[in-house]
Amino acid sequence: MSTDADLLDLAAGLFLLAAVAILWRRDVVAQTKWLIVQGAALTGIAVVLGADERHPELYAVAAGIGLLRAVVLPALVRRAIEARSEDRETAPLINIGASLLAAAALVLLAYAVTQPLVRLEATAAARALPVGFAVVLIGLLVLVTRRKALSQIVGFLLLDNGITAVAFLAAAGVPILVELGVSFDLLLAVLVLRVLTARLRAAFGSVDLDEMRELHD
Amino acid sequence: MNSMLLLTPIAAPLLAVLVYAGAGWRRATAHAGTAAAVLILAAGITLAVRVTRHGPLDTAGGWLRADPLAAFMLLGIGTIATIACAASPSYLATAGHGATSGSSRRYGLLVQCFLAAMSTAVLAGNLGLAWIAIEATTIVTAFLVGHAGTRAALEAAWKYTVLCSVGIALALLGLVLLYDAARHAGLTEADALNLPTLAAHARALDPAVVRMAAAFLLLGFGAKAGLAPLHAWLPDAHGQAPAPVSALMSGVLLPVAFSQILRIKTVVDTVVGVAFTRIMLLVLGLATLALAALLLVAQRDYKRMLAYSSMEHMGLIAVGAAIGTPLAITAILLHIAGHGLAKAVAFTASGHLYATEHTTRLDRVTGLARRNPALAAIFAAAILALLGFPPFSLFASELALARAGFAAHLGIAIAAALVLTLLAFASLARHTAAMLLGDGPPTPSPAPTANPASLSLASRTPLILGLATVAALGITAWPINTLLHLAAQAGH
Amino acid sequence: MLAISLVQAFLVLFGAPLLVGWMRQLRSRLEGRVGAGMLQPWRDLVKLLRKAPQQPEGTGPAFRIAPLLGVACGGVAAAAIPLLSTRTGLGAGADLIAVVALLTLATAALALAGLDTGTAFGGMGASREMTITALAEPAVLTAVFALATRVGSTNLPAIVAATLNHGARLASPATLLAAVALGVVVLAETGRLPVDNPATHLELTMMHEAMVLEYSGPDLALIELGAAMRLTVLLGLWSALFAPWGIATGTSVAALAIALAALVAKTALLGALIAVGEVFMAKLRLFRVPELLAGSFLLAVLAVTASFFLA
Repeated sequence: MSTDADLLDLAAGLFLLAAVAILWRRDVVAQTKWLIVQGAALTGIAVVLGADERHPELYAVAAGIGLLRAVVLPALVRRAIEARSEDRETAPLINIGASLLAAAALVLLAYAVTQPLVRLEATAAARALPVGFAVVLIGLLVLVTRRKALSQIVGFLLLDNGITAVAFLAAAGVPILVELGVSFDLLLAVLVLRVLTARLRAAFGSVDLDEMRELHD
Repeated sequence: MNSMLLLTPIAAPLLAVLVYAGAGWRRATAHAGTAAAVLILAAGITLAVRVTRHGPLDTAGGWLRADPLAAFMLLGIGTIATIACAASPSYLATAGHGATSGSSRRYGLLVQCFLAAMSTAVLAGNLGLAWIAIEATTIVTAFLVGHAGTRAALEAAWKYTVLCSVGIALALLGLVLLYDAARHAGLTEADALNLPTLAAHARALDPAVVRMAAAFLLLGFGAKAGLAPLHAWLPDAHGQAPAPVSALMSGVLLPVAFSQILRIKTVVDTVVGVAFTRIMLLVLGLATLALAALLLVAQRDYKRMLAYSSMEHMGLIAVGAAIGTPLAITAILLHIAGHGLAKAVAFTASGHLYATEHTTRLDRVTGLARRNPALAAIFAAAILALLGFPPFSLFASELALARAGFAAHLGIAIAAALVLTLLAFASLARHTAAMLLGDGPPTPSPAPTANPASLSLASRTPLILGLATVAALGITAWPINTLLHLAAQAGH
Repeated sequence: MLAISLVQAFLVLFGAPLLVGWMRQLRSRLEGRVGAGMLQPWRDLVKLLRKAPQQPEGTGPAFRIAPLLGVACGGVAAAAIPLLSTRTGLGAGADLIAVVALLTLATAALALAGLDTGTAFGGMGASREMTITALAEPAVLTAVFALATRVGSTNLPAIVAATLNHGARLASPATLLAAVALGVVVLAETGRLPVDNPATHLELTMMHEAMVLEYSGPDLALIELGAAMRLTVLLGLWSALFAPWGIATGTSVAALAIALAALVAKTALLGALIAVGEVFMAKLRLFRVPELLAGSFLLAVLAVTASFFLA
């Protein structure tokens, strides 16, 4: 096995581990720190792929991704947290132990589902594709089972990191313009969610999503 | 010349954005938005004529492309945008939520950004650009939905942003998978998401990967189009947003998101056959239809009622897309046009209704026909159009849909859809009748200034024109006959 | 060679209390106390062995056998694991699953002994201990699976030899994840923080101590020795699987001497890390322990899947 494949595997493993750690920790501050780790791992994947296929523009894209997902976005989430105990997820919809077991099942599911993609080409990058899918599924799990608004933002960022990982591992990214547009949209989406969180806190007093029950049929 | 024509629908709203950013919302600038919408309509008409005669146009290396489907959607966008933007000044004047000129300016800015994004999505020749535009609409409309600033509006805005962002992220995953398949089929990086190129090389794509991509794309764009399972944002967002914004969302956003599904369907069907998308769209469409019909029964809020009606019609459109024959696609395109116009009129009328009644609850509004005949007539006509009465075009399109369904041996699905539509018909008719007929509220309405003045002529005209167009479309499809057929071919 | 296995067993038998002493001494120094010295556990054992044997009324063979079984299982496990050399002479018997099963046997015997006493503390300790074991077993077996798929067999010397030959495998995600998962399990099985406090005698926090509350004299000496051997064996197993540098592949005296020095150094280092960690960690509440072990299981599952697709 070449060192490039090893490095890629390490980065992919760290990527998945960060997702598991975000699922495990209750504290949104700790989750933000693991988001930074995940952003760094994603940048690592992009850099290794860039070195491997000798695409210099992948380095630029990797730098952009690193800046956005390891620095800017976690900082935005961190600033939205006020140092109140309300930002600790005390009662997720399924308890943490069950979430972890569900994550194990999701990883196996991701592995099974992505076999057609892995078969498309026989490189180390294609073999690491299930990792990206697993992170997408774990992000969806966080989105569905957490009650705090900030936890949902973290879940959404997990989802998007996973999709970017799939994009890189599958076909070395998407066209540069599309990547730029996607990143910009993601940044704006998180900004919008931050502003909404602030307004929600002002209107409702806390950001427990279960307390927002005024609209229902 | 081509570039100018293709760029106008995008540039005109952006110019209006600059106007609002610079000069704010004043009497002079209030109709800058309407002017931009009229320009979009004009560009749409010109493009429609050009495309019918000379075939598709493209510019910017294929990133912007006008084919018959795009021209048709642009016509729809232009018309509905004109109605909604014309109604905005009066809405903002009577909004009464402590509307400052700052919030009005933001409203004007965001609506124009929304129109620019919609035009881009429709004219995009590259799936990536279409995705970016549709994601941009989520971001832009988030604040529009929460414009009122109440707790309910903020809750609706949150739900809308989260659900639509998740849905569109799933669509991105599908796009990434499609790109992967395209690259492995030998397409270059610049061309891999280009729609005509994809259509041409469709047979070289790996079927299993395309199937996965199609599932994610249908789920993701379906979320934006209001299809189950990620539909929960629709009633909240449409119910809480300002009425012109609801009109725009129902009439423009939902169909444009669905048009992306139509485009993807063309490519996917060549690779994996018709059965996959047919089954998926049937399941999604019937589920949406069922949910909407069931939830319409016990509605208590007339704006949410209209929102569920939008969901019902999108479900019907999805079933039509599932059928997939040229007749079916023509039918759903006509349905998109008719529903969009009628729903826009209905929402705008509901905006005027809210201005006079100050409540959106169904049980507090009665005897409207007696108190405000003009508004009642317009609202009633819009609801009749939505219910599918002739001469309105929804009658013709639903009939054509049923015919196409039976011809394609999907009789059971069509029968189920018709039964559910009947259920929705009954609920909608009952609620509207309760609102319009009767003697009026026994106690005088709380606000002293609410002397239910008749609608001004300026407010009435766009609505009546809209209704007349829907009626005209129901009688004959001229002059868009050729355009409809060409667009259906493109979407088949 | 069988001689090596016997040497390993005696090494663990005599060295285990020294390891425990080393950890306690380090912890005392870090907490600002003078400490009792590294030989104190041996002094305690000798003192206990000189006392008269006592057995509570009403207890039966389960109570008598547990201490012996603890020491015996520890000894056999020490013989099987390639601590000094991969030529342990036990052949196919040196199986990873067999070692795990031996250690579980010792735990089960102790739990039965705790139940046998008929006291509330015994029952409570036994039930807590078995909960932990039941939750840790899936993690252990899955991690074993992850390690075994690389090599194609669960034979310990084969696994260690394979790791020695392909050093780069240690940095792969599968091995790292399995290392963390097994690390958590080692802490759980040996009753260290954050799962169980080895120095506590409060009802709320006791697990291992509750089961052995009724033991005294030579039986208690054997229990303590068994627990110390268990710790040494598990630390030795972890270092053999994930840090096998120094383990001899032959039987030459020089290689064995190097292996001995390496073993002592690695075990002392791991023990020191655990002791230092314990100074800073607090014990987890009992109902949070399943969370920790579920996480360990998830990491082990990830290790297995990683070993399949991150080859």
